Amino acid sequence: MTNEEFLTEMQDVLQTEEELSMDTVLDDLDEWDSLSVMATMAFLEKSFGIKTTMKDYHEMKTIGDIAKKAGL
Amino acid sequence: MATASFKNTRMIGIKTVVPEHCVNIDDELRYFENNPKKLSRAKKMMGYGRRYIADDNTTVTDMAVDAAEILMAEMKINRDEIDLLIFVNQNPDYPRPSDVCLAHGRLNLKKACTSLQINLGCSGYVHALMTAAGLMSSGAFKLCLLLCGDNPAHDISVDNRKIAPVFGDAVSATLLKYDCNAPESFFVTGTNGKKWDKIIHPFGGQALPFKKEDFDFRIHDEAGNVWTAEQGLMKGEDVFNFTMDVAPALLNDTMKAANWTAEDVDLFAIHQANKQIVEAIVFKAEIPAQKAPVETFSRYANNSVNSVATVLCDQKRDLKKVVLCSFGIGLSWGGAALDLSGMYNGGISTYISPKAKPTREQQIQHWINYFKGDEK
Repeated sequence: MTNEEFLTEMQDVLQTEEELSMDTVLDDLDEWDSLSVMATMAFLEKSFGIKTTMKDYHEMKTIGDIAKKAGL
Repeated sequence: MATASFKNTRMIGIKTVVPEHCVNIDDELRYFENNPKKLSRAKKMMGYGRRYIADDNTTVTDMAVDAAEILMAEMKINRDEIDLLIFVNQNPDYPRPSDVCLAHGRLNLKKACTSLQINLGCSGYVHALMTAAGLMSSGAFKLCLLLCGDNPAHDISVDNRKIAPVFGDAVSATLLKYDCNAPESFFVTGTNGKKWDKIIHPFGGQALPFKKEDFDFRIHDEAGNVWTAEQGLMKGEDVFNFTMDVAPALLNDTMKAANWTAEDVDLFAIHQANKQIVEAIVFKAEIPAQKAPVETFSRYANNSVNSVATVLCDQKRDLKKVVLCSFGIGLSWGGAALDLSGMYNGGISTYISPKAKPTREQQIQHWINYFKGDEK
């Protein structure tokens, strides 16, 4: 998955209309809530086989951090 | 995972009942900061829709007895032929005796009817089917009535938006018959008891009995959700990771046990935890999504122990080869591969709560009189 594809997918995962970049700060997104965390967990597991925990999400600050976790 | 197969037992009928009171997520904008956009987003992501909630006058046994009476009437079953009664649930009418004994009495079943209570949650229906099949395959029992349901929504505080929109109440009755021409049934089950505290009601048992002051405490989390001592707790992300570890493999192991491929299967009835989780399981298990409905969650929510039975009853058609996949509290899981050809599907009907039931005060007075010996 390219970075561009990842950002498009993340827009759908988070169900946000905001244009996303790797630098987008998660806490700046209105949609970054517990639903989105669960949706991101499902996305990383489904598309990358990567398991994450709540602790991981406390440590992630940006969309780029999620990409890094996915191995991009 | 443990695999078992049994011959000579056929599931001949099923019926689910839901309470009258229906709640629609569209009327609960308050859970979403009164923001219609957030509500619509949550509906899309989680599949929130309708759920049915039992009133304070209704118990699981009330509904189970109703489901059984309707099923027996519709199928013209002679209740004297029932020689095995199983009730699976975790939220009983009384701490003791088991609901299965209450149901036995209310259904006027014969005394020579073995009655078993199974205490399991989301994986319980499959475990109960396996127990029935195991006991019946030798011919020791000829006709089994299996009751299942927990009414999880009834006890959840509306202030707990983490779990309140997820759960709905539903109770089912299933009939199984000894039949030497029945197709073989396959079961795959497992437990991870090390994760016993991932979904739990901490209070009210021997480890942490209720004390008077426990009823006063109200704990708030950062998002403003409220937890009280009467309520359960769930570590959502751990349960999610467990589900992703277990459920997709369970689907495939169950098919393998029956020597079926996904093409052979008519329906995958997956525990309706929520839409997001069911879709993730289907994706990871690589089974065809059109055979694994998630719409039951939007119509009836997560019915805990009855969830897979609700999926079966929600299918308005005759079923053939079905794979059940259930997982949850325990942590515990169970899969079943069943050929349900010829089974009567009684669908889902509404349980009408009788108006003239003893009030709480009348019940308490009854037990006081009972203690004093004024009443037998």
